[in-house]
Amino acid sequence: MGNILKEITNSATALAKGFSITFKTMLRPTVTENYPHQPPTFEDRYRGLHVLRRDENGLEKCVACFLCAAACPSNCIYIEAAENTAAHRISAAERYAKVYNIDYNRCIFCGYCVEACPCDAITHGHGFEISAYDTNALIYRKEQLLEPLPASAKK
Amino acid sequence: MAEPIKLSIDGKPVTVPPGTLLIEAAKQVGIEVPSFCYYPGLSLQGACRMCLVAIEKMPKLQTACTTVVTNGMVVHTDTPEVANTRKSMLEFLLTNHPLDCPVCDKGGECELQDAVFRYGAAETRFLEGKLHEEEKKFSNLVYYDRPRCILCFRCIRVCDEGMDVNAYGIGFRAAHSEIIPNRGEQLECEECGMCIDICPVGALTSGTYRYKTRPWEVTYTGTICNHCGDGCRTTLSVRNNVVIRANNRDHSGLNGEFLCVKGRFGWDFVNSERRLKSPLLRKNGKQEEASWEEALTFTVERLKTILAEHGPGAVAVIGSNRTTNEEDYLLQRFARTVLGTNDIDHHRTADFSSLVRALTEAGATDRYATIEDISAAKSLLLIGNDPTHQHPLIAYQIRQAVRQHGARLYIVNSREIKLRRQSSQYLQVKPQGEAEAVRALAGQAPAAQDLCAGGTGALTALADALKKESDTVILFGDEIQGQTVNDLVTCGLTLPGKTRFVALGDYANSRGAADMGLLPDTLPGYQPLSNEKARERMESAWAAKIPAAPGRNIRSIFEGIRAGEIKALLVFGANPVKTFGLDNAALTGLQLLFVAELFRTETAELANVVVPAASFAEKSGTVTNTCGEVQALKRTMRQAGTRSDLEILLALARLFGQRWTYQSPEDVLREIIALVPGYDIPLPSLLVGRAVPTHPEGRPPALERPDLVFSSRDSLFTSGTLSRYSWALNSVDEAKKPYGHAF
Amino acid sequence: MADYRNPMLGSPLEVKVLTRRFDLANSASIAVYVAHEGYQALKKAFGMKPDEVINEVKKSNLRGRGGAGFNAGMKWSFVPGQTTKPKYVVSNADESEPGTCKDRVLMEYDPHQLIEGIVIAGYAIQSHQGYIYIRGEYRYLMDILDRAIEEAYAQGYLGKNILGSGFDFDLATHTGAGAYECGEETALLNSLEGLRGYPRVKPPFPALIGLYGCPTIINNVETLSNVPHIISHGGDWYAKLGTPNNGGTRLFCLSGHIERPGIYELPMGFPLRQMIEDVGGGVWHGKKLKCVIPGGSSCPVLTADEIDVPMDFDSLARIGSMLGSGGVVILDEDTCMVKAAWRIMKFYAHESCGWCVPCREGTHWLKTLLERFHSDGGMPDDPDTALDVSYNILGKTLCPLGDAAAMPMISILKKFRHEFEEHLKLGSCPYEKRAVNVA
Repeated sequence: MGNILKEITNSATALAKGFSITFKTMLRPTVTENYPHQPPTFEDRYRGLHVLRRDENGLEKCVACFLCAAACPSNCIYIEAAENTAAHRISAAERYAKVYNIDYNRCIFCGYCVEACPCDAITHGHGFEISAYDTNALIYRKEQLLEPLPASAKK
Repeated sequence: MAEPIKLSIDGKPVTVPPGTLLIEAAKQVGIEVPSFCYYPGLSLQGACRMCLVAIEKMPKLQTACTTVVTNGMVVHTDTPEVANTRKSMLEFLLTNHPLDCPVCDKGGECELQDAVFRYGAAETRFLEGKLHEEEKKFSNLVYYDRPRCILCFRCIRVCDEGMDVNAYGIGFRAAHSEIIPNRGEQLECEECGMCIDICPVGALTSGTYRYKTRPWEVTYTGTICNHCGDGCRTTLSVRNNVVIRANNRDHSGLNGEFLCVKGRFGWDFVNSERRLKSPLLRKNGKQEEASWEEALTFTVERLKTILAEHGPGAVAVIGSNRTTNEEDYLLQRFARTVLGTNDIDHHRTADFSSLVRALTEAGATDRYATIEDISAAKSLLLIGNDPTHQHPLIAYQIRQAVRQHGARLYIVNSREIKLRRQSSQYLQVKPQGEAEAVRALAGQAPAAQDLCAGGTGALTALADALKKESDTVILFGDEIQGQTVNDLVTCGLTLPGKTRFVALGDYANSRGAADMGLLPDTLPGYQPLSNEKARERMESAWAAKIPAAPGRNIRSIFEGIRAGEIKALLVFGANPVKTFGLDNAALTGLQLLFVAELFRTETAELANVVVPAASFAEKSGTVTNTCGEVQALKRTMRQAGTRSDLEILLALARLFGQRWTYQSPEDVLREIIALVPGYDIPLPSLLVGRAVPTHPEGRPPALERPDLVFSSRDSLFTSGTLSRYSWALNSVDEAKKPYGHAF
Repeated sequence: MADYRNPMLGSPLEVKVLTRRFDLANSASIAVYVAHEGYQALKKAFGMKPDEVINEVKKSNLRGRGGAGFNAGMKWSFVPGQTTKPKYVVSNADESEPGTCKDRVLMEYDPHQLIEGIVIAGYAIQSHQGYIYIRGEYRYLMDILDRAIEEAYAQGYLGKNILGSGFDFDLATHTGAGAYECGEETALLNSLEGLRGYPRVKPPFPALIGLYGCPTIINNVETLSNVPHIISHGGDWYAKLGTPNNGGTRLFCLSGHIERPGIYELPMGFPLRQMIEDVGGGVWHGKKLKCVIPGGSSCPVLTADEIDVPMDFDSLARIGSMLGSGGVVILDEDTCMVKAAWRIMKFYAHESCGWCVPCREGTHWLKTLLERFHSDGGMPDDPDTALDVSYNILGKTLCPLGDAAAMPMISILKKFRHEFEEHLKLGSCPYEKRAVNVA
């Protein structure tokens, strides 16, 4: 007799315990994302596609110091530098990156380039949809990586 | 030899010769004493105060760069006081130094950067605004960024003491001091770029290199400069098959850190847009692009026809002053055995043959001077030539000899050359009077009264002075040739000590061309064709016959073309139309003019076939400088469409049905080492980048006529064809100054 | 009220040796000079052997009046006797030390005294060429000196076979371009050679390798002006005028907040308190004394408690300061020491030649730091930073200019640290009348 009673109480406790989790969770916000039907959310420090930043005047922050390329463990960054002139000013310093390519076939999104950058010019964005049928398409050029000109800098 | 000095540095016993500076003594036992203003060979400054060390029994810290070691000196470089001093000096330097390392050209190879990494002071306590000055353009090749300058004054000293140009001074005072050029805002100088090379920070930057890349992004290859005959070692910085800089990065070789404007900036012809990239074949009177196969097959077919119709006497070959020894060797083998002609020559710029013959006959083939001999000489006799322009390294070494250990320089020249400033006796002779002066010095012929300004007394004074010297190094230009070389050598060998000789020839491999037998009457190693034994030796090695009769020299070749006797001319890396001032009609009689060149020169324009050759940066091999020192070229890059002269020759020989077994320039070099007298050089020395002296021995025939040997009189800014395609050399105002202008 | 046009106010406490002829009319002319014992010492010197002249000067304990206080006779004796090179005597008239203006009057009122001293020095080391290097700002003295030299040539005190002794000596003046650094002897030599006035690496010292690479002695104008008196009256007489090891009298230039600023010739070892109170008439307007700079701006300052000290080289060295070049600057109680330090540093930052790093960058740093500190931008770390920077300059520069800048700075920072703290606490200068600025 005592056994049956004990069994019932135990079961009831177990049920209550189990459902408590169920009900608790029901009230919580949903974790599952309906990607691709809805856009995914990211943590701030998510390391996605790189973005080359601009300064407040709309000039490129990158001064082509090559430190990102030097830090890159998979050797996927290729830069060609050129000198700014008064008539043709791309970055605030003497030099700018004429060519800036990242080979996403090789990039491992380790973030070392961002760590290395002395100008905060390269950052990780949240882009991640980069699959392609052609590996050539995975070599991103500067034009693809640059953040758009701010509205204030547009003429 | 004075007693060596014994001292102790950080507890390590050191033994050095008297007069050694403390900083050098420390270096010997592997103790680094940092310094910016100290530079070996330049005057002492004590300006940067980085090298302060503690010496026992001295109240204050002492600068290691100005302290001469004494016996029993006890030095400490590792005390906290010394460490703190280094740190504080760096902190001082950084107060007004912009930390724009990411942009600065020097970032990655900057002495200040290295010192801060090693000795601290990365954190500054300087809160005030830094002094700023806009960057200044001193010339198209030299830019100056005042904020980065740490005022070590190396540039000023190397320009004054090394180059004897004095292009720099100091303007303003205290923290506002800056380096200023000698002509207003502009430099007027030799544009050698030594100041850029010697700058420990990124204050002086190179107009051709600035803001192009970073030092760790390029590949460095040590090779030999292709301009003058001095054979400076240079390091080409290459990125993506484009040369972007040349400097002797490791200060190795016979030139140390020295390079002239051509060596440092004049390599850009390699990247020229006007380089030939494809063979050109003349079709219907017009040169059109063709494939390599087409061009070479056409050439060989045409050659075969001419040989069949007119015999080997109808074909002549002109070689180059710049191609490698291997190429020159193969070229004369090709001419002599495949074409069967001895009508092979090149533009001779110094009479090397006569020097070899004279020294061989005197039994003194150990008397070829090397570049090192020049800088170590106690006494120098320079006859003719203007080394400042034609041989910048030799001029530099002469100045070093005079400045560093008081060598006496004697000059015989018909022009007032810049080295006169260093000379202890200067004998100005009448135009073209150098040879007469030598004959008079040698006692062969009395000098005319009007020979030199001071009358014959000046000549006697020179002879007397020379007799008091010992171990004189005698340098002579193209003014001395033929029998006069013989007179000079005979007379020179009577001087006290071990007299040594240098013939000053123009281009990177003038000496090699003569050594390798690009001569109508001489086999490689100055063996005369008439010497049956020598001929047979080569014949058995090559398994082919060599015609015994001497061929035509270069002037006779042109005469032969005019007379219609020569129907085919093969030109490798030369521009005879310009060099010999030929008119367009001179070569019209040819049925085949084949030119292997980098550019479409005046000669190439007239050719039936033009093939694009590889430049010095694109091939390996060896070159011999004017002193007879062999050095190795190393391929640094590729240029699509071009082939080296070696590859071209091998292809031509193959099309002629020859079964040559050479796979690489090294195979040819091995054969040269085995077969060419005087070239038995140790291969390993060559491969590690040393300059290996040669001692050729031979009795080549006497010089036939006086108009065969002549120098191009290239200035600091010209270098035959190559300089015409160099942006850098043509971009400086100084290039417009006439030859012989002294800066 | 004092007559500022004439710095020679005179005081009963003065012992007049160098200035004995100053009161005479037309004292710069050779006639007056010769009439008052002029060129007698030269005659006497020619009767002595050169070595005896040097020994007499050694005996006099004449110490260099330029600032370093090196025994002049000793300096002369370093010049090698046997040499094929020419030797030179250079008179350092590049008097640029702030607070010092004694050479000016010596050349203005008695140029022949200097010329005679130079010729005797030349005879002592057997040199035949002398130069007087005058600072650019003393352009007007060039005319006086050139006229005096002309007169001396005309009367046979310069030129060939002076006074029939067989000794030849030529003398010329040369002007600087206005650089404090050229008061340093090797920089002076460079400037004299036509080079930029940068100091040279020492050793070798100028006594061995000096002007144009030849043995050279360089002495201050006052030092050389003393020489005729030493020769005339003997080294012992001269030595007795001062304290042991500090022979003779000295021209002290009293300036700053004092009642009777001027140049006074006082014996070496004269008490500083007496100098201020009795000779100079005390601090002006009856104010209290805050600080004394005892020998030109490069000397560590003395507080009001430290002025009971005899003014000679050794006594001042004992209390951690220097006699320097005799420029005694008095600062009253209302002086802001931060501002004083900034003013001193502004001078050194401007005058640093730029040759070596600690002085070039350090003085600039201290100047900008003090400027900010005094104009209300002080940070708590600043006094410590300034002290550390000063110590990093001290003793690490090529020439003494760095030390000259660091020493007053260190002494002010140490002795008047409380004033820096006050600035920090108030956020502004306690001595400046803020109200005026606000209005």
